[in-house]
Amino acid sequence: MNSLPQLPARPQSSLLASAFSRRRVLALSALTGGAALAASACSSGASGSSDPNSFEFWSFTGINQKDSVEEYKALAPDVTVKLTEVGNAQETAQGLTTALAGGKVPDLVLIQAGDMPKFMKNPGNFTDLTTLGADEVQDDYVDWVIQQVKAPSGELLGIPTDVGGMGVAYRTDLMAAAGLPTNRDEVGALWPTWDDFIATGQRYTQATGKAFIDNAATTVFLQAVSQGEEQYYSADGDVVYDSNPIVRDSFDLGLKAIAAGITAKLESFTDGWNAGMAKGAFAAVAAPSWMLGSIRSAAPDTEGEWDIAVIPGGSGNWGGSYLAIPARAANPQAAWNYVKAMQSPEQQLKHFLVSGSLPTTPANYDKPELVEHTDPFFGNAPTGKIFTQAVLGLKPFVNGEYNTEISTELLNALNGVEGDGAPADAAWDTAVKNIKTAIGA
Amino acid sequence: MSATLTPGGLRAVTPATATRPVEKRWERLAPYGYVAPFYVLFLVFGLFPLLFTFYVALFDWNPIGDKTFVGLENFRLLGEDPRFWNALRNTFSIWIISTVPQLIIALILAQVLNNTFLRLANFFRMAMLLPYITSVAATAIVFAQIFNRDYGLLNWFLELLGFEHIDFMSSAAGSHVLISVMVIWRWFGYNTLLYLASLQAVPRDLYEAAAVDGAGPVKQFFNITLPSLRPVIVFTVIMSTIGGLQIFTEPLLLSNGTLTCGTARQCQTLSLFLFEQGFGSFKFGYGSAVGVALFGIIVVVAFINFLLSSRLGKKG
Repeated sequence: MNSLPQLPARPQSSLLASAFSRRRVLALSALTGGAALAASACSSGASGSSDPNSFEFWSFTGINQKDSVEEYKALAPDVTVKLTEVGNAQETAQGLTTALAGGKVPDLVLIQAGDMPKFMKNPGNFTDLTTLGADEVQDDYVDWVIQQVKAPSGELLGIPTDVGGMGVAYRTDLMAAAGLPTNRDEVGALWPTWDDFIATGQRYTQATGKAFIDNAATTVFLQAVSQGEEQYYSADGDVVYDSNPIVRDSFDLGLKAIAAGITAKLESFTDGWNAGMAKGAFAAVAAPSWMLGSIRSAAPDTEGEWDIAVIPGGSGNWGGSYLAIPARAANPQAAWNYVKAMQSPEQQLKHFLVSGSLPTTPANYDKPELVEHTDPFFGNAPTGKIFTQAVLGLKPFVNGEYNTEISTELLNALNGVEGDGAPADAAWDTAVKNIKTAIGA
Repeated sequence: MSATLTPGGLRAVTPATATRPVEKRWERLAPYGYVAPFYVLFLVFGLFPLLFTFYVALFDWNPIGDKTFVGLENFRLLGEDPRFWNALRNTFSIWIISTVPQLIIALILAQVLNNTFLRLANFFRMAMLLPYITSVAATAIVFAQIFNRDYGLLNWFLELLGFEHIDFMSSAAGSHVLISVMVIWRWFGYNTLLYLASLQAVPRDLYEAAAVDGAGPVKQFFNITLPSLRPVIVFTVIMSTIGGLQIFTEPLLLSNGTLTCGTARQCQTLSLFLFEQGFGSFKFGYGSAVGVALFGIIVVVAFINFLLSSRLGKKG
C-alpha cells in the first residue's frame, strides 16, 4: 500500500518536509487524547524531604494571588513561595487532576468552588486541614461555605478564600429612560420576589422595546436555585434535582422570563454578552461580586451609569474559591502556615480593599472599612455591604459529584429555549433526560 | 511517475569496493541509527499512549479515584449513548462539508497558479499559505466576530440589505457550515501548494503533444493532469480524513469554549465528546472508549478513501 505521494524531488523539498511534519503532527494529535490519559497514569511518588521554609503554590489567572504572596514575603521573609498560575480556573483544576493521578503535586492549590465536588468525592487526595490546626480557625468562616468542603467523613479539605455574594447590577440611565426608579433602595424594593423581578422586566420592555436582562439561565434560574436550602442533592447526598420543587420552580421562572420577552438572548461571558453590555442591550444583570470586574472591562464607557441593588429573594452566591493541600504535598506545614496567615480575617479584609474579592469571614462583614467601601464605577454603591448581606442569608446545602453535569444540562435547556428556539414545554423533560444520560442514573 | 529514488536503486549505484566487514556492518546499521530518533519518540508519545488508551477503555477509571475492570461495558454504553451518535453525525457532516469543497478549490487554484503567464506568481503562491500559518485561535476570533449574531460584520451587511440576522451557532446546519468555512479557509492553501508542486513536475511536452493531437483543456485535465496528480490527491484525501474527523479546536473556540458546543450539542464532534467525558466528567475509561471508536472509524474511512481516490483518473 503506497499511500504516500511520489512528490518531485528537488525544488519542492520544503513542501515535502512540511507535508511530513503535518503528517506527524496529525499522527501525534490523533493520540493526544491517549497521551494525556497515559501521562496521568505514570506515577511518581511525592518528592523527598519536607522543607518548612518553601512551598509550591498553584493558582489560576485573574484572581491575583500574586498580591497575597508578595505580602506574605513581608510577614515571613525566610519563606520561599513558588507561585505558578497554571491557567484559568478550569485548566488549573485539570492540571491538578493530572497531578493527583500520578504526577508531582503542588503543596498548595487554589480550586474554584464549582470544581470542588469532583475533588471531594475522593477526600483521600487531600490533607485533612484539621490535622494541621484548622479546627482552631474554621469558625472564622461563613458556616455554609466551610460546610461545602467538609467530606461526609468529617475531613476539612479546604479554606475558603472568597465567595461570590450576589446583587443585581443595573443601568440607572436606562432605568430612568423607561420611567422606572433609579435609586438602589427603591429598585431593590421593586423585586422582593422573582415574579416581581420578571414583572419589572416587563414594564421596562414595554416602555423601551428592549430586553431587560442578559439571559434567563444565569440571571434568573441559576440565582433562584442557589437560594434553595436543598438543591440538586438532598441532605443525605441523594440526587433529587428531578423531584426537588425548588429546582423545578426556578426552572419555570427561567421559562417565564423567556416567555415574557425580557431577555436579550445573550449567554453569559460570550462575545455578544460583552458587546451587549457596552451597547446597553440589557439594563440589568445578576452580578456576583467578582463579576464587577467583567462589567468594568466589557463596558468601560458606562462608568458611573451602573448601580447595584439587592437580588430578588435577598440572598445568593455564585462562585468563590478554596485553598487545599494535596495529601502527597512535600511541604504541607509551610503551605498551611501561609493559609493560616493570609486567610485570617484581617488579611482577607485587606485583600478585599485591594482586589474587591469578598471575604469569607463574617467578622469582617460589619467592619467600617468594608461597610463604607464604595465603587465609583457603580454609582458609589456600597458593594461590600450589599454582597456580604447576600452571603449571610444562605444556609448550608449539600453538593454532589454531578453538580456540574446537572447544572450544565439545565442551563443548556433554558438557553436552548431562549436562543435556539427549542420548544419551551419540552424543555424540562429534555433537561432531565440529558441529565440521566450524563450521570448514568 | 518513477522519479523517486528507491532503496533498490541506491544499492545498485553503490560501487562494489572491497571493504572490511566491520565497516560494512556499520554501514548497514547506520541508517537505522538515523531514523531511530523518530521511532523512539513515536514509541514513547505515539504507540504507547495508543495501546494504553485501549487498555484504559476496559475500565471504569476515575483518574483520582477508583478504577474497576468492566471489560467491554464502556463500548456497550457507547452504543446506547445518543450523545455518541449525535457527535458521530456532526463529525461526518462537518468533515464532508469542509473537505470536499476544500480539495476542489485547491485543485482549481493550483491549476490557475500553474499558469506560465501568471504575473507575481510567487506572491500568490506564498499568500496561499497565510491562513495556514495563522494560529487557529486568532482565526477563530476573527470568524466569531464576522459571523456573530448581533454585531457580526456579515449580519450587519444582511441587515443593510433588509434581511433577518442569522444565528449560525444556534442550529446544526448553520454551525456545521460555519465550522467548515473556517476549516476550508485554514487548509485550502496548504493543499493548493501540494497540488501545485505536483503539477509543476508534469512534463510540459505531454500537454503540447496532447494539444497537437487535438485534446482540449478539459480532455487534457482529465487525461493528463488528474492521473499525474493521483498520488498527491490520495495523500491529501487521507490527511484531510484524519484531520477532519478529529476536528476539535474550531468548534470549541467558535462556541466560546463550551465542550457541548451548543445547547443541544448541535456541533459537538467526537473529539469534543471525548474531551468532555475524559476531562470534564473525569470518566477516563469512557473517554478512552470514545477515542478507540474514533480511531477505528478513521482507519476504516481513510482506507475507503484510499481505495476510492486511487482509482481517480484511472482508465476502466
